Amino acid sequence: MIWTAALILICLIGAYAYYRQLKYGLVVTNMRDYVSWGIYISNFVFFVAISLVGSLITAIFRLANVKWATPLTRIAEIIAVSAIVFASLIIIVDMGRPERMLYLFLHGRIQSPIMWDVIVIGTYFFISLLLLYLPLLPDLKILIQFKEKTSKALNKLYRFQGSFWKGTADQLKISKKSITLLCIVIIPVAFCIHTVTSWLFATTYRPGWDSTNFGAYFISGAFLVGAGGVVVAMYIFRRFYRLEKYITEKHFEKMGRVVVMLALLYLYFNVNEYLVPAFKMKKPEEAHLTQLFTGEFASLFWFAILIGMILPILILLFKKGRRPLPMFIAGMMVVVGAWFKRYLIVTPTLLHPFLPMQDVPESYHHYFPSWEEWAIAMGSMAGVLLVITFFARIYPIIPIQETISEQHEKDEEK
Amino acid sequence: MKKNKFSFLLLPLVFALLTNPLAAQEDSVVAKELVKLKYFNDNNGVQFLILENSLKTGKKIEPLNNKVFQLYLDSNKTENFIATVTTDKTGKAKSFLPPSLKAAWEASPLHKFIAVATGKEEETAAELEILKSKIKIDTAIEEGTRRITVQVMKYENSEWVPANEVEMKVGIQRMGGILSAGDEETYTTDSSGTVNVELTKDSLPGDEKGNMVLVAKVEDNDQYGNLLVQKTVPWGVALKTDNSFFDQRTLWTTRFRAPVWLLFMAYSITIGVWGTIIYLVLQIIRIKRIGTAAS
Amino acid sequence: MENNDSSRRDFLVTGLLTALTAAGCSSKKNPFDSYAGDEVKASGETVKLLSVDGEIIEMDKAFLKPVPDLPRVSNSEERKGIEGKKFVMVIDLSRCKNVGACKSACNHAHQLNPGQNWIKVLSMEDAEHTAPYWQPTTCMHCDEPPCVKVCPVDATFKRQDGIVLIDSDRCIGCRFCMAACPYSTRVFNWQEPLLTQEVAAQPYSCETSMPQKKGTVSKCDFCPDMARKGELPHCVSACPNGVFMFGDLNEDSVTNGAETFRFSELIKDKAGYRLMEDLGTKPSVYYLPPVNRNFPYESGLENETNEDKHTHSK
Repeated sequence: MIWTAALILICLIGAYAYYRQLKYGLVVTNMRDYVSWGIYISNFVFFVAISLVGSLITAIFRLANVKWATPLTRIAEIIAVSAIVFASLIIIVDMGRPERMLYLFLHGRIQSPIMWDVIVIGTYFFISLLLLYLPLLPDLKILIQFKEKTSKALNKLYRFQGSFWKGTADQLKISKKSITLLCIVIIPVAFCIHTVTSWLFATTYRPGWDSTNFGAYFISGAFLVGAGGVVVAMYIFRRFYRLEKYITEKHFEKMGRVVVMLALLYLYFNVNEYLVPAFKMKKPEEAHLTQLFTGEFASLFWFAILIGMILPILILLFKKGRRPLPMFIAGMMVVVGAWFKRYLIVTPTLLHPFLPMQDVPESYHHYFPSWEEWAIAMGSMAGVLLVITFFARIYPIIPIQETISEQHEKDEEK
Repeated sequence: MKKNKFSFLLLPLVFALLTNPLAAQEDSVVAKELVKLKYFNDNNGVQFLILENSLKTGKKIEPLNNKVFQLYLDSNKTENFIATVTTDKTGKAKSFLPPSLKAAWEASPLHKFIAVATGKEEETAAELEILKSKIKIDTAIEEGTRRITVQVMKYENSEWVPANEVEMKVGIQRMGGILSAGDEETYTTDSSGTVNVELTKDSLPGDEKGNMVLVAKVEDNDQYGNLLVQKTVPWGVALKTDNSFFDQRTLWTTRFRAPVWLLFMAYSITIGVWGTIIYLVLQIIRIKRIGTAAS
Repeated sequence: MENNDSSRRDFLVTGLLTALTAAGCSSKKNPFDSYAGDEVKASGETVKLLSVDGEIIEMDKAFLKPVPDLPRVSNSEERKGIEGKKFVMVIDLSRCKNVGACKSACNHAHQLNPGQNWIKVLSMEDAEHTAPYWQPTTCMHCDEPPCVKVCPVDATFKRQDGIVLIDSDRCIGCRFCMAACPYSTRVFNWQEPLLTQEVAAQPYSCETSMPQKKGTVSKCDFCPDMARKGELPHCVSACPNGVFMFGDLNEDSVTNGAETFRFSELIKDKAGYRLMEDLGTKPSVYYLPPVNRNFPYESGLENETNEDKHTHSK
């Protein structure tokens, strides 16, 4: 309860900050003409990155017949849906004229990467929703069956959503095929979503953004932070809902291996992204890279690399590190490191334009988010957690029917 | 001895140094109102006056808006009244000469324009003396070279005589300025009041028909004011307006002219994926139907 | 007699035509006539005037005003641009002394907020041993504008006369164009703009870029409202040293008001160049290198703002 209350409080503070922003304009933030994109945009990238976990855990693992991941699919999917919803919300918050949002549809230019982002995000939202709903149907039947264990209102909801599911062979067949199709389709869409988001930066000339590497770099980062997020969620649900039987130590062990692999992959892309331009030190990139490695952003940069990639790798390379608690810590580190990494992708580049920053007020030379920005950013993250919390309260966070079916299969094998 | 001589110089020097900064300070504080009258004669036909009113504070000159002035010809009498003008936000006001002054105008070649500020009628705000003049432009093509001849005449002793030592710009009318036809910036009339300019620049662009406007302009002459004469000649290269740049399909045009490959990619991906989504929704409906039928 | 009659007729006709030209309009789409074009409609009311020769001529009242009242241009016309023109600007770096008259004139004419400078006069020094110089930077009005490429709602667009304009009634404030512009020339209205009553009341026009709106982007617009009247942009007229030269590529000429040059000759003679040519944006602003300077670089330091004195680096 305290958890929910705290989250709601943070959301309300964020809402108030947004009200102030609507009233006075974006001047309440500390974004100015040079750093015209700040933590709203880095939050947006962060959320889009996390939302990719749905396609990873749910789709890829399902298609690859990775059976141990089945209990985790719903956690992954709800994180994905929640994150993508708040990604859209935070981008609306960042707009100078949110009331003109419809212009995106009335006057949209297909040549603009933002249009591509709008299309892909909308598409991904619907696909993720379907991927959440279809496997939920058998569980709804179970929930309706045990109606004495749930409240009247919830029962009504379950009946409305899935009373037609009888579990007949026909239905099962259609459902299975649909889910498989969905898994196949969601993977390219997920790749598109983060590649297009990375193109918001890569289609500009700026140092630090003008990189051909960005699509792959962002996607590998997305998979990593998504996996880290799932690990954190796994641990929390396991503890607070006492699901030790279903989310076992074996699950942590396996997820640990996945996270290590993804972290190594992301580290590889980071090396490419930073080492190669550093070798050349082209004039526009020199100031930017120096600022990241040894300058104003150095502490943040090395913190993000260390906490976000290196330490988790070190922890998870060892079997002892792949136990629930160490994994939870590693997962948190991955997520926190990833947030700072996204900030480092957005802001430092904007402080190194091609032409010198002159004829502007002194405050334009720096950027540190204002309290309104922090409030709204925190509010959006609280919002994500709130949606996940409410979902977990209403629906079973572990797919019941699938777990049962798998158990039967295992017994039969024996 | 030496000491005395120097000390003698020192005192006035110190005095000068002391007073100078004071004087400079005074100048920068005191604002001066400037009123200027200019006379324009376009193509020997339309003539008009432009009054400029501005405030000078130190180095800054600010135009004064909404100031009312009365203009008179030769003297402040009511029968010599030209017009009442009000300056706009650029500090300028324009006035033409009314037909009622025809007799007074033709009476003499030399005229004085007087501007008086409303409310300060005793004081002459600005004065301008103008001698009637005419300016003519002629063109000729001799042996492949194109020549422009401009002649300025002034009205003296009831007849038109050549005006010499008149500086002018001769060239082609361009947006905002005049491109000199020859190699010099300005030309001055000789004793016969003429200026001969050879068009040294070739292949100058003209309009769609290859026409261009030749211009001779006398700017702010002490005696004659501003004179302007224009002539259209077919000496330019015909301009071909090419709108193909604007009509092509590129990444930087409006949405109606997006590149075909982009449209193809975007639509095929969108239709493919959304087609699948619709198919899946239909499947769910199918499942529902089976369920409700079975019950 | 005959002479008198025909010359009188000729005179009346030329008088009328030049009256039209003098008042700033013409009846044909001649690029060399003043640009109010066929847009000023004769009101039908005529007034009698005295000509130089003592003749009485008649002129339509609509043309009498110092600046004729141009009818409002529709949004689609504003998006299309002025026909037959391709605007170009030449900035002579050897003349710039960081006087800042261009900035004040532009800021005043467009009622910009403090801190918003559409023109930035940058103190540049390309490398350790190269000459320092003052570089006024306006919007480059690129022929392949990266800002236009990324705008999601067509709020910024390229016109056929070369000008890249912003429609503040369409802009959603996403600031992607600001991120995309390599010249950092765009400016954002973070708060409600401070405007005079008069300006705030007038209807919005892309060509005057006034009144500015909160939450939208703005930038140098090459003053298309002035170009329509045949006048030069504010910065060009304001500069006391004639640094800015504006003109039409189709006419092959640029002028700073006092001096007019043949554009192709000027660029060739003085080795004009464009900024960041290798990015492929194809800007419409050319620079003449700072050789044979009129003023030493140091004479511009006295005009530096206090903030720039500290951050005198790249």
